[in-house]
Amino acid sequence: MNAPFFKFGLFGDEVSLIVACAIGIGFGFFLEQAGFGSARKLTDQFYFKDMAVFRVMFTAIVTAMLGLFYLGAVGWVDLSLVYVTPTYLWPQIVGGLLLGVGFIVGGYCPGTSVVAMSTGKVDAVVNIVGIFVGVLVIGEAWPAIEGFANSSALGRLTLPEVFHLPMGLVVFLVVLMAVGGFWGAGVLERRFADRPAKEDQ
Amino acid sequence: MSFLQLARLSGNQKLALVAIALGLGALALGSPRSGRVTIDERELAAIVEGEVDHVTPDELADWIVAGKQDFRLIDLRSVAEYAEYHIPQAENLAITALADSDLARNEKIVLYSAEGIHSAQAWFLLRAKKFPAAYILLGGLKQWTEQVVFPETPAESATPAERIDFARSAERARFFGGAPRAAAGPGSAPVAAGLVAPVAPTLPKVAPPTAPTPAGAAAKKKKEGC
Repeated sequence: MNAPFFKFGLFGDEVSLIVACAIGIGFGFFLEQAGFGSARKLTDQFYFKDMAVFRVMFTAIVTAMLGLFYLGAVGWVDLSLVYVTPTYLWPQIVGGLLLGVGFIVGGYCPGTSVVAMSTGKVDAVVNIVGIFVGVLVIGEAWPAIEGFANSSALGRLTLPEVFHLPMGLVVFLVVLMAVGGFWGAGVLERRFADRPAKEDQ
Repeated sequence: MSFLQLARLSGNQKLALVAIALGLGALALGSPRSGRVTIDERELAAIVEGEVDHVTPDELADWIVAGKQDFRLIDLRSVAEYAEYHIPQAENLAITALADSDLARNEKIVLYSAEGIHSAQAWFLLRAKKFPAAYILLGGLKQWTEQVVFPETPAESATPAERIDFARSAERARFFGGAPRAAAGPGSAPVAAGLVAPVAPTLPKVAPPTAPTPAGAAAKKKKEGC
């Protein structure tokens, strides 16, 4: 049996929903375990006081990348069937900045706001209401922004394709980037640890 | 580094070392590819029987008018034929170049040729290489020009519903640089204009934001991603 199971038709729609539910609960559980149900901890990221978000996310990226690479290498996963979000360069840059601003102002990203809501945090509920209002606004404004949202379409892009490098080399470089990033995160945390006290005075 | 020094590292540092070791392993492996090709003849036969392997010219036209970008349109004819006329968004690819193309297995691929034989053969090659989303443009470029670029004007006895359908196709034909043509009377030869491709330099440009979106667009592909 080879993955991706859904694409090869080994999972039906119902089974894939059950799997999605299980993965979602697991995702939420580990976000909460990492302390990401707290807006304070999440926003500390942006002031370099607590780099846990960076560490957890980059660890997840490296773990998934190594797992997929080796599963692909032994032939258990057909990497060419794994869904890659198509690149729309400028719309995604603008969208990323919007999400970042919302993250700093609201204190949560969409996933962590659901995690925080499930532990009864009111600000998370406000955040989720905001998400739905945003969805409504985008839906209503779609005719006006559709042209921009579809612009600079670069299709399905991966780093090995962009840089014309072997996949293994890119995997190695990303691992180095992660390890270097973790070291750098520690340096930043030590430097900015006493910042809030000064700002409060 | 001695074993004692290793033991003194924190858990996180050990994990980092494991990651670096796996990264080095990946570096040695380069770009792995699983190139084994197997054909499930019953599965392919079932697909052909169920006629789920093709896209009609109407569906394709609606996708292009709506500015959909989630598919690759491949023109399998010669370079000269492609230069003379091709469907907007189409890429020219010889059937012999299929094996080395940059087509990815998670893309929706629509193939067309002059009348459909080459595209059916290319479809089989792609399916054998486990491309799950390869489709054939039904009737090839011939049916495309007859149905989309130069749609037939309905007969006098057409029902109101048929007339509404025709008004929509006529508008779409103009989008693709064509025009409606007179119906071929019983017994008369097919209208030649329908078989002649429009002049290449005046190919309409596809502009999604301003394009009118015809109602009843084709059913969407299964949603994926996040």
